[in-house]
Amino acid sequence: MNLMNRKNMQLLSGNHAVSWAARLCRPDVAPLYPITPQTPILEKITEFHAEGLMKTELLTPESEHSAMAACISASLTGARVFTATSSQGLLLQHELLHYATGARAAIVMCNVNRTPASPWGFWPDQLDSLSQRDTGWVQFYSESPQESLDSVIMAFAIAESVGVPTMVCHDAFYVSHSMEPVEIPDQAMVDDFLPKFDPARKLDTAVGASFGAPLDQNTWRRSRMDLAESLAAVTDETIRVGEAWGKLTGRSYGPLERYRCDDAEMVIVTMGSMCGTVRDAVDTMRENGKRVGLLKVRQFRPLPASMLRDALAGVPVVMVLDRNYSPGTGGILHQELKAVLSGMADGPKVHGLLAGIGGANVSSETIDRWVRDYQNAEPKPESQWVE
Amino acid sequence: MNKPQSPLWTNSTSEARKTGTWRSALPDYQNIPSPCLGACPVDGEIATWLRQVTQIDHYGAWLTLMENNPFPAIAGRICHHPCQTACNRVQLDETVGICSLERFVGDKAITEGWSIPKPEVERTESIAIIGGGPAGLSAAYQLRRRGYQVTIYESREQLGGLLRYGIPAYRLDNSIVDAEVGRITDLGVKVHLGVEIMNSAALAKLKEDYSAVFLATGASRPKALPGLDYSQPYVQDSADFLAITNGGKTCELGENLLVIGGGSAAMDVARTARRLGRHVTVLTLESDENLPAQRTEVDEAREENVEFICGAMLKDVNSTKDGLILTCARVDFQPGAAKGQFTTTQIEGSEFELRVDAIIPAIGQDADLARWQDVVPGDKGLIDTDQSWRTQTEGIFAAGDVASMARFVTEAVGQAKHAAVAIARYVSPDEAKDPPPLLAEAKFNVINTAYHSPDARHNQENLKVEVRLQSFDEVQIALSAEQAIAEAGRCFSCGTCIDCDNCYLYCPDMAISKLEGGGYVVNLDFCKGCGLCVAECPTGSIHMQEDLPS
Amino acid sequence: MMETIEYTDRGQFFSGHVACAGCVEALSLRVILNTVGKDAVAVVPPSCTAVICGSYPHSAANIPVFHTTLESGAASASGVKRALVAQGKNDTTVLCLAGDGGTYDIGLQALSSAAERNEDILYVCFDNEGYMNTGGQKSSSTPLSAVTGSTPAGKTTRKKNMVEILAAHRIPYIATASPSDLNDMEAKVKKAKGLRGTKVLIVLIPCLPGWGVADNSAVKVARLAVETGVFPLFEVEGGIDYKMNVTTRSRPVQEYLSTQKRYKHLTAENIATLQADVDDDWQRLVNRCG
Repeated sequence: MNLMNRKNMQLLSGNHAVSWAARLCRPDVAPLYPITPQTPILEKITEFHAEGLMKTELLTPESEHSAMAACISASLTGARVFTATSSQGLLLQHELLHYATGARAAIVMCNVNRTPASPWGFWPDQLDSLSQRDTGWVQFYSESPQESLDSVIMAFAIAESVGVPTMVCHDAFYVSHSMEPVEIPDQAMVDDFLPKFDPARKLDTAVGASFGAPLDQNTWRRSRMDLAESLAAVTDETIRVGEAWGKLTGRSYGPLERYRCDDAEMVIVTMGSMCGTVRDAVDTMRENGKRVGLLKVRQFRPLPASMLRDALAGVPVVMVLDRNYSPGTGGILHQELKAVLSGMADGPKVHGLLAGIGGANVSSETIDRWVRDYQNAEPKPESQWVE
Repeated sequence: MNKPQSPLWTNSTSEARKTGTWRSALPDYQNIPSPCLGACPVDGEIATWLRQVTQIDHYGAWLTLMENNPFPAIAGRICHHPCQTACNRVQLDETVGICSLERFVGDKAITEGWSIPKPEVERTESIAIIGGGPAGLSAAYQLRRRGYQVTIYESREQLGGLLRYGIPAYRLDNSIVDAEVGRITDLGVKVHLGVEIMNSAALAKLKEDYSAVFLATGASRPKALPGLDYSQPYVQDSADFLAITNGGKTCELGENLLVIGGGSAAMDVARTARRLGRHVTVLTLESDENLPAQRTEVDEAREENVEFICGAMLKDVNSTKDGLILTCARVDFQPGAAKGQFTTTQIEGSEFELRVDAIIPAIGQDADLARWQDVVPGDKGLIDTDQSWRTQTEGIFAAGDVASMARFVTEAVGQAKHAAVAIARYVSPDEAKDPPPLLAEAKFNVINTAYHSPDARHNQENLKVEVRLQSFDEVQIALSAEQAIAEAGRCFSCGTCIDCDNCYLYCPDMAISKLEGGGYVVNLDFCKGCGLCVAECPTGSIHMQEDLPS
Repeated sequence: MMETIEYTDRGQFFSGHVACAGCVEALSLRVILNTVGKDAVAVVPPSCTAVICGSYPHSAANIPVFHTTLESGAASASGVKRALVAQGKNDTTVLCLAGDGGTYDIGLQALSSAAERNEDILYVCFDNEGYMNTGGQKSSSTPLSAVTGSTPAGKTTRKKNMVEILAAHRIPYIATASPSDLNDMEAKVKKAKGLRGTKVLIVLIPCLPGWGVADNSAVKVARLAVETGVFPLFEVEGGIDYKMNVTTRSRPVQEYLSTQKRYKHLTAENIATLQADVDDDWQRLVNRCG
């Protein structure tokens, strides 16, 4: 079918798809700071704004740090807030990422995954956002421009209902700058899907309540328990929202996506743009009679542990492709998956491959080779550097 | 889902926390006397009425003044104002012109015709007052307003004593005396004029007829200058001179007059004589800087071309057909420890001559005690009294110049006020006591001068000398209302709360509340005892007291 | 006539806060919060003010307070303001109440940016010339020679001139204020409140423990700072128009220094240097006022 004939189709990069999503969500406030390769998101939004297509209060402060500070306080004042960053910018925000979660600020941010310096690089790598895994932000990893657009819209629904900040990540260039036809949903449909943000508590002169004052040990602990309770609800919320979005658009999403995993002898587990390559490799291998499937982890935080165990129960071999390297640990998804699967009676053997670190190219053929190399090998606890 | 977000929003005010437990000291609001009050012979609440002037509450100011002194218009003209000498403001710029303000209020009362409120109760006890001068009238006023039946016996034809007969009109016009004395008699005081209680028997009779007797005959006998023959026509005592001239009669002494003495009476004589066209020389034992008269009187006398020869004495008088040739000599004057005490040593070879037509000695007056010696004994020229102005005879009291060497009008008024309280207590033991002795005075160091900008005194202006010498018009021109309000505003109100709100507005803990009708209260729940309210009190009327947790 | 203090307490600041006894930061908060009134939101980075306004579940302020991170004051205030504007609440005053650490040091970047964007906020710096809430260490606002926990022998460099830095941003209004001149403080808050854009008020806060000042004396010390010219009271409009509110100096700097333990060690030479610096700064300020 000719996709361009469908309603509201535009050829968009992943970044511009995100800008479109932001526009459709009608954020009240958007603090933005430029950084390669996020900058096209900012520029498209400021362009929409200049043309009067977005009524958002735009701030362009001196740093990602101030941008996030403004996001948090705006959110607590009752505003729907959007921002975007990448790599160094996200790392600069680290302190405030924690602060945002503690403040229960329902911010939505797009992070364009890029190698963190040093040395300097501008390439696809997920260490920047994965290293924020303890900040409490909900993290989604997107494979394509369309998914990035859909994910930003769904992220607002999830963030605002659960009361936690949410990050939609997509890989530098492979998604951020790759063009594909993207369906832009109707504004009216999005408005209906995403009602006006109206938090129960906010900085309200009519109420006068304050947030963030120093408190005692037990109350601090209790705040963490409350946060844990909210985060425990995220997975169900992701499912509910993803299904609802699917009914409207025909594109359903969940925390995980199982692709041709039935009867698979090996399942490749990965996130982000790597999923597209793996999908292609799986198709080829299936044509060649190899029973290989893909498990795409879309929601990395909170990690959908039970769903992962269910998805991989009875699978003999799992191969994790990590486009990140946590120094001293290895692939982050590898380590987390092993922990999740630990103790399963019928758990798989788990291989961890450090694949495409720093944006190094990984082709369908390379994946085919890795499957052959690791299908019958004895797994090692450490992630393996592969080419 | 729409789970309520974080519970970590505040839900109450900090008032739940009682930070008053931190405190070890607590502010205490207690007015303490200002130095002017301490110095005032009538215990005038000066800071209070000055404040009322600034608030344009002139009637209130007058009532406050009248509490202690029925003569504000008079005192405002002639008081020796020890209040001003004591005023803390001199350490910032100049003292407050209290006297001129008292005159302002007193004059306002006369102009407006304000009268003294009638006594709230009438009492049957009767008091005889002998002498209708400042002391007698002050006592009459204080007793009558408490409801006692008061009768004044005055030897002269009109009430007022020194005020009427001893002070010239250019300082105190009789119309002022009439107004302020008249207000007292209007209260219902019986007055017998031209009646003298000549002897002990007459005094004893009065004591039988009345519940109590108050002696206030003043000092009516001139001191005699040794060696001067008072019987000569060229000698006239100052009291006679002033009584004659104040009565409108002229002076029949020659053109050139010598006044002997350096006190107020001497100045009054000299300046009166100048107004009568005489050439006047004042001869004083005291050196210029030690003259007992008020400095303004001396200065104004000099302006009026009175000549002064200070530190000299008269040695001999030689009467010739062309006038008197006086032999005088310079002396070394040394003031003594107490007021009025001094030593003089004639300087060898310092004799000089003066030529005048007449001599008016003005060296003071003594009380006439001999006539009552059998009933109220006394020595050293005064009737013996105790601190409450009781004589040695029960039921008889005495104050003013007859019982004190203080010799100032307002001293007499103040003594008579205290005597009146003692008399009231004597005839009616249920009367309130005299208030307890005053606490320590508010010193300059308790005043936070940050709130008081330097500001020169608004002085009364004087008539021009040429005008003065041609009439007995009042020399000092009263302050305008604007000047008076501005001048009263210079008062520090030392030790007196003026409801300025500094304590309330400076408290970092909102622990001080304003009371309806004035004043403040400290909230013990929240006062941390920092003392900022005390430090920033512009008047020094708050004090820290230890307040340790019990 | 005696000078009287005119501000009105509208109940915007509550008793029971935990400022030190005699703290004039609490006093200044009282004046500022009551002058700004109820239609306001405050952003507070870590500082004594954060402690004074807290702690959970109690609040000493009758307006919503958002406690933010130390370096984020101006950025967080911007966020609040923009959110209010998005909701149509353009007239609500957004305060940022920060210390000198959060202003001169770690918060300068965010403040500079907010000033450059001319965000519509009223930024108040309670300048106690050091990190007093952490026990008294030097900041870039600490003056020459002052002893702090991190400059035990006295600071060897001068205090940063924050007003000139801010003036270079050409924001509508910058002013200094002192708890010894509450009428002036109130007037400046009122004026700032009536202007759109970034307004900054720097309030000198003599810190009782940090400076070594008696509990009842912080106002007096602040007054001496004004009277000696150490802390001139002045305003800058548009970054260009300087106006001094107190145009005379009536006392030598020594009188100010001698009230504080942090200057106890000074030699006559040190004092002369400080006096000369104040003289120079004063003259420069006078010149700017034309």
